[in-house]
Amino acid sequence: MDSTGEVSRVGNPMRTRQPRRLGKATKAGRATKADRAGQPGQGRVALLFLLPALISLALLRLIPAGVALVDSFFTESLLRGGRVFVGLGNYSDLLGNADFRKSVGVTLLFTVIVNPLQIAVAFLLAVLYTQRATGSKFWRSLVILPIAVPPAVSAVIWSVIYRPDGLGNSFLDLLKIPAQPFLTSTEQALPSIIVLLSWIGVGYWMLFLIAGINDIPDDIHEAASLDGVSPWRRLWSITLPLVRRPLAFVLVADTVSNLLVFAPVQILTKGGPNGTTNLMMYDVYNRAYAIGDLHTAQAEVILLVAVTLIIVALQFRLLRGDDR
Amino acid sequence: MKRTLLSAGAAVIGLLFFIPLLWVLTGSLRPGSETFARLSPLSWDSFITVHPTLENYSKLFTGDIGRATANSLLVSVSTVLAGLAICSSAAFALSALRFRGQTAVFAIVVLSFLIPFDAIAIPLSDMFRDWNLTNTFTGLVLPGIGNGMAIFLLRQFFLAIPTELVEAGRLDGLGWFGVFIRIYLPLSRPALIGAGLTLFLFQWHSYVWPLLMGTDRGHILGPVALANLQGQNFVDYGVVFAGAVLLTLIPLAVILGFQRYFIQSVSSSGLK
Amino acid sequence: MAPRAGRLIAGVFVVPVLLLAGCGGGSSSSNTAPAADQGPQTGTINVLGSDNAETYAPVIKAFESANAGIKVNYSQVPFDQFNSTLQQRLGAKDSTIDVYTVDQPRVSQLAAKGFLVDLTDLDAKTKAATSQASYDANHFRDKLWSLPMWNSTQFLFYNKSALKKAGVTPPTTDPEQRWTWEQVATAGKKAQQAGGTKYGLLLEQAEAYYQLQPLAESLGGGSGITGPDALTPAVTTDGWKKAMSWYGGTFASGLSPRGIGGFQTGPVFSNGNVAFFVGGPWDIGVFSSAKVDWGIAPMPYFEGGKPVTPTGSWSLGINPASKQQGMARKFIEFATLDTAGNLATTEATTIIPANTKSEAQYLPRLEKLAGSKSTGAAEIVSYEASKTAVGRPVSVGYIQFEEVMGKAFADIRNGTDAASRLETATSQLNEAWKSIK
Repeated sequence: MDSTGEVSRVGNPMRTRQPRRLGKATKAGRATKADRAGQPGQGRVALLFLLPALISLALLRLIPAGVALVDSFFTESLLRGGRVFVGLGNYSDLLGNADFRKSVGVTLLFTVIVNPLQIAVAFLLAVLYTQRATGSKFWRSLVILPIAVPPAVSAVIWSVIYRPDGLGNSFLDLLKIPAQPFLTSTEQALPSIIVLLSWIGVGYWMLFLIAGINDIPDDIHEAASLDGVSPWRRLWSITLPLVRRPLAFVLVADTVSNLLVFAPVQILTKGGPNGTTNLMMYDVYNRAYAIGDLHTAQAEVILLVAVTLIIVALQFRLLRGDDR
Repeated sequence: MKRTLLSAGAAVIGLLFFIPLLWVLTGSLRPGSETFARLSPLSWDSFITVHPTLENYSKLFTGDIGRATANSLLVSVSTVLAGLAICSSAAFALSALRFRGQTAVFAIVVLSFLIPFDAIAIPLSDMFRDWNLTNTFTGLVLPGIGNGMAIFLLRQFFLAIPTELVEAGRLDGLGWFGVFIRIYLPLSRPALIGAGLTLFLFQWHSYVWPLLMGTDRGHILGPVALANLQGQNFVDYGVVFAGAVLLTLIPLAVILGFQRYFIQSVSSSGLK
Repeated sequence: MAPRAGRLIAGVFVVPVLLLAGCGGGSSSSNTAPAADQGPQTGTINVLGSDNAETYAPVIKAFESANAGIKVNYSQVPFDQFNSTLQQRLGAKDSTIDVYTVDQPRVSQLAAKGFLVDLTDLDAKTKAATSQASYDANHFRDKLWSLPMWNSTQFLFYNKSALKKAGVTPPTTDPEQRWTWEQVATAGKKAQQAGGTKYGLLLEQAEAYYQLQPLAESLGGGSGITGPDALTPAVTTDGWKKAMSWYGGTFASGLSPRGIGGFQTGPVFSNGNVAFFVGGPWDIGVFSSAKVDWGIAPMPYFEGGKPVTPTGSWSLGINPASKQQGMARKFIEFATLDTAGNLATTEATTIIPANTKSEAQYLPRLEKLAGSKSTGAAEIVSYEASKTAVGRPVSVGYIQFEEVMGKAFADIRNGTDAASRLETATSQLNEAWKSIK
């Protein structure tokens, strides 16, 4: 995503975005625009458009998250019975826990690998499947399809691929490659999970990039190819910059989705071997649902959201200037 | 030549993604006792069966899966309709309009999808209990309609719509609602389909939520019915895979059905 | 939806009492007062469990025909979400659950949270009806909280043709002549070398405490939990270390396969890929249609140790928030303490009834379930129940314990040194239990 500079340079001539920037830049700009349209301020209109979404987000996400935050300051004693206020006790317990700290490390490592990988693959696939080729709409449906498979079944499929006597090793055997331990080894477990998540996810993210690529007017490509720009260069300096908005969405949404994934870990590795796949969200899920320690789980969720927030804020910073 | 190469590449990659699902499809046409029988060494019959049987499917339909699929479809489609209306209008406000606090509202939208739903499902289900929404379709649909990710997605695409069009529309006497309905929505079909799919899949995979809500057999959803096929000590994967195929076919139909709209882009549908 | 109205009317009278019983949290506050708050005599009660509906259809049918006016509505929650769903709904005082199935090692925690109705008035009846181990498993702080429905044990299944090919005489069904784990390992290796099977030995739930507790107990390692509150870990005893190093070794040597788990272990045996398989009574039913030729033997023990087998299964309990506790009691008594009723719970599934008299009628059926292959099963079941069965520990921290140990077993299976991993488990347990003390 270090190409944002180039993005804005190439992007500007294509669409007149100047008036949009005014809203952010000067009050005068907004006033002029409103006067021209003969409209009162847009605040009230905006509120009407936003109201249903804001109410549902508040009721269905933010208020329960607030409840979770409050819960995270309590604990429940089974021996003595009842809820006890412990302040930041759950947080300090977590931070003092070696397994938790390892889990944060694993989550960060995972994030750094899985997102660039998935986005790059999704982008290349999007480019491939927007070329004029036979049956490409059908084939790309097959790439999108894994997202539709029930997650529990996806996990079963990949457990069979990764079994020592499974489809993966049988396939490697055809290529005369020795059998691999996959999920049972501390080195390969996380990469194996990443591969399976990419199988599920890249087609889905590709979909949004295809939508973005289709929005690029054909004449731009035609003009570029008439100018003798090489396909690779066209990809890098025309297509990529022109899908920057969908790409920004995919970057942020993919990152968040990957931080919140837990089903394959729960079914395949339970965080092992030796905690090498113990992603924070799995840990949260496990605490909340398997162990039933809701209070610590909620404290961990808050920390997870904080980690996610930091990463997403960094991404928005990176995309800034281009975002609006 | 180049076109042949591209077609071949497109086909090979598509097939690679499909192979694991082919194994599931074949498994659903085999007796459950043979599901794991041909894993190694690999041969053609690991992925294809010459004696397909529909026995798993007939076993499947003695259970709740039929009703569950219909319920899931109802819940998912209602969510898509309500969700798109809510999310696209919010996205419109966040992209076409200018108002004070816009950045803050956008930040709230982003924050809302950073919160893992499964983690807040427990407190949320207590709230739904207080509102008497347990075991109702409303209770199942509601958590899906306010989707920050869909708002974010639509906003990104709405930002690409040139202001000139808006200005022109306004000069022609369109109100903001008219601009939204007549200009933004028609020009954003691929994005709306993408957002619709996001909303659809959220509900299609809904599993923990209906259970927390104490959903009865009349309101059972697909993933729950699928999980119910697993016994405590034994699973007939033939039947489970048949259920998985059924639950994958509907989104597949949706994806294939909407593919043709994906060719529609801003440039081809009115910008020129 | 007929029950709603009835429940509503009953609710007016019972709510205050139930609130008292439910809010206590501790066990002491909820003394049963059977006379006053039993709810209506007829209506529909809701039963929640994790098995499929067919399993309970026979017992429900039998109960309904014996109790005119009472209908039973069973709903299933998938096993992987069962405990969490239950916690959530019981915690919210959800009165749409009257009866639910109780995983026996969770009795203490459910009782401590006030999620079970005290059934101590049925204590004598229960003691008379079932084995000591399953009587104990339903107690917490000297009170009876649930009634035992099923029981379990483990067998050693062996692949007859593979052993024949390797020239190994198979183990007998006689529990007095049971094999040691060392014998099993040697014979399994022979079968692998003779090319009969890919693997020598596989435990059905290779990473579950239920199946591995007997290994440590066989060497005198104890259950792994000790202390007055049963919240002190004891998994680094010599028995535990020795048993787990041996167990880790079976994977390191290739005798047992890594990376196969969940419900995929049974098919390894039924597809003829492993010589020895340790599994439950349900497998007799599952394997009865397998193409492999197999036989059955008692669960092994360690050389120099004592034979120990796992036991325990599911019970039935009553939700304190239920407004139809009278009918609920009738149903759970019928399904557990009544011979015919308890037997009916095992009609559509392969599991041992907990009621001793029902068991006596059930065992001949189990013996014949897989024809001559399962001959001897009945004798093994009765022998283990009376001589070798050791239940899982009763502790409010059992859930955390099972979770922590499951991960430790998985790591040991994947090659982590057993002794140090058990040390780690000890500190993880201390940490996990800190919050519930």
